[in-house]
Amino acid sequence: MNVVSATGLAVIDVTRDIRDILRMGARTLRFVVRGRKDRRMIVEQMHQIGNKSVFFITVTMGFIGMILVFQSALQALRIVPDLSLLGATYGEILIRDLGASIGAMMLATRVGAGIAAEIGSMVVTEQVDALRMCSADPVEYLVVPRFLASMVMTFCLLVWACVVAYLSGMVTAYVVFDVNFLTFANFMLVDAGDVIVGLTKCLAYGAAIPIVSAQRGLATFGGSEGVGWATTSAVVSSSLAVIVLQFFISAVGYLVFPG
Amino acid sequence: MSIRFENVRKAFGSKVVLEDVGFEVGSGECFFIIGASGVGKSVLIKHLIGLLRPDGGSIYLDGEEVSRLTEKEFFSVRKKCAMVFQNSTLFDSMTCAENVALPLRKHKRLGAKAALKEALERLDTVHMREFANAYPPELGDGMQKRVAIARALTLDPRYVLFDEPTTSLDPVSARRVDQMIRELCDEVGVTSIVVSHDLRSIFGIADRICMLYKGHVRMLGTPEDFQTTDDPVVQQFINGRAEGPMEV
Ligand SMILES: Nc1ncnc2c1ncn2[C@@H]1O[C@H](COP(=O)(O)OP(=O)(O)O)[C@@H](O)[C@H]1O
Ligand SMILES: [Mg+2]
Repeated sequence: MNVVSATGLAVIDVTRDIRDILRMGARTLRFVVRGRKDRRMIVEQMHQIGNKSVFFITVTMGFIGMILVFQSALQALRIVPDLSLLGATYGEILIRDLGASIGAMMLATRVGAGIAAEIGSMVVTEQVDALRMCSADPVEYLVVPRFLASMVMTFCLLVWACVVAYLSGMVTAYVVFDVNFLTFANFMLVDAGDVIVGLTKCLAYGAAIPIVSAQRGLATFGGSEGVGWATTSAVVSSSLAVIVLQFFISAVGYLVFPG
Repeated sequence: MSIRFENVRKAFGSKVVLEDVGFEVGSGECFFIIGASGVGKSVLIKHLIGLLRPDGGSIYLDGEEVSRLTEKEFFSVRKKCAMVFQNSTLFDSMTCAENVALPLRKHKRLGAKAALKEALERLDTVHMREFANAYPPELGDGMQKRVAIARALTLDPRYVLFDEPTTSLDPVSARRVDQMIRELCDEVGVTSIVVSHDLRSIFGIADRICMLYKGHVRMLGTPEDFQTTDDPVVQQFINGRAEGPMEV
């Protein structure tokens, strides 16, 4: 196969994947509006997605907060020997973008893999077929509870991710660069636009991760090896979805709320 | 004629599984589909209930063409044509009784109490009533299979598809399942399609047998026909020989 046709096939694959994911999103939303919602399932999924990710997200965001502040302070010191605005700029960029986006990338691995593996193994053991034989729609039964649970829990986890990264950055600034807490805790640069853009991102990522991963899970075929593939593909695709959404929401956010 | 497959073709990507498959199954018949693992036996029967869609050809159930129905329209087909899957597809988070009650609640829209009461009667017919409140993972394979059969039969289907019902069962449970399938045909008049490569079941309870090989029907006939055939591929399969012309 030559390079041109290989590229062509890859483009067709990606187009089909995007179409399938959008379709899954539309069906999920339709069932969210009209379908039956199983409280017990949603609560169970909230536990799966939420509680079990708290430790992971706290540790990773703690380290990321330290690294971000350490590196940016080093860079800043090369230009001006003054770190009084370090906390203010860090707060703005964290709230507007990095807190939610880096946190979502971490969650895409933890939550996305979990959803795809769980649904994928139900596909290869024919449980999804059995659901369809009972006239139960797999999207209504399997995807909707995960979607709703993820909307709520991802949102909370990403807000928490910002808090953790902010605090660990603050401690780093104090310990390494001697910036005291009161100087650091400066929210002068944070305005309503930053908060709105940040929260929009939290919601968008919370919706995208379960839909992309569930679509990958339902497309599984071929035994336990198939589940492995589906899981890998779910992590890759949901991380990509996070980055693409980050780009578009940032772009629109910049046009609506410059600054 | 109750079930008819005509020139059914199915490929996954570039991999052609069924090339041109056609056969008919008569009313009340116990029809076996045999063939090596991976020839597409499960793929074939899943077309009848819309779990897979053919790339070409047609499938008729009771004279109605089902291969072009939508997922919603298949709901009524799935009421009269049940399937017992190869894997245990009982839902682990529900008790046996709740599993059996599920189709009653979804298809017949019965209330929880009424459905559970009927589920208990159904479990009684497969001698599993005492395990009604057990969860499927606590039970052995044979018992799970019986509960799965009870779940498939709750809506009194006229057609039942069994996908390798005796594979992975011990010999005693396997013969019990065979007996249950035969009784369904003889006493209730259910038409069954059984996918199997268990020679004891094939020659014990089949009315007619269809052998799939390389995407085509290799042979179609009664168990006697199969025992007296001189087709070397069929002979190799039914005698279970490692050496021979068959490609797997
Ligand atoms: N959803 C699918 N996507 C791709 N290939 C599939 C799918 N389902 C089945 N196959 C392939 O079709 C072939 C037939 O499978 P199957 O019908 O399960 O075989 P068996 O005769 O053992 O029941 C296998 O090679 C399998 O890999
Ligand atoms: Mg099979």
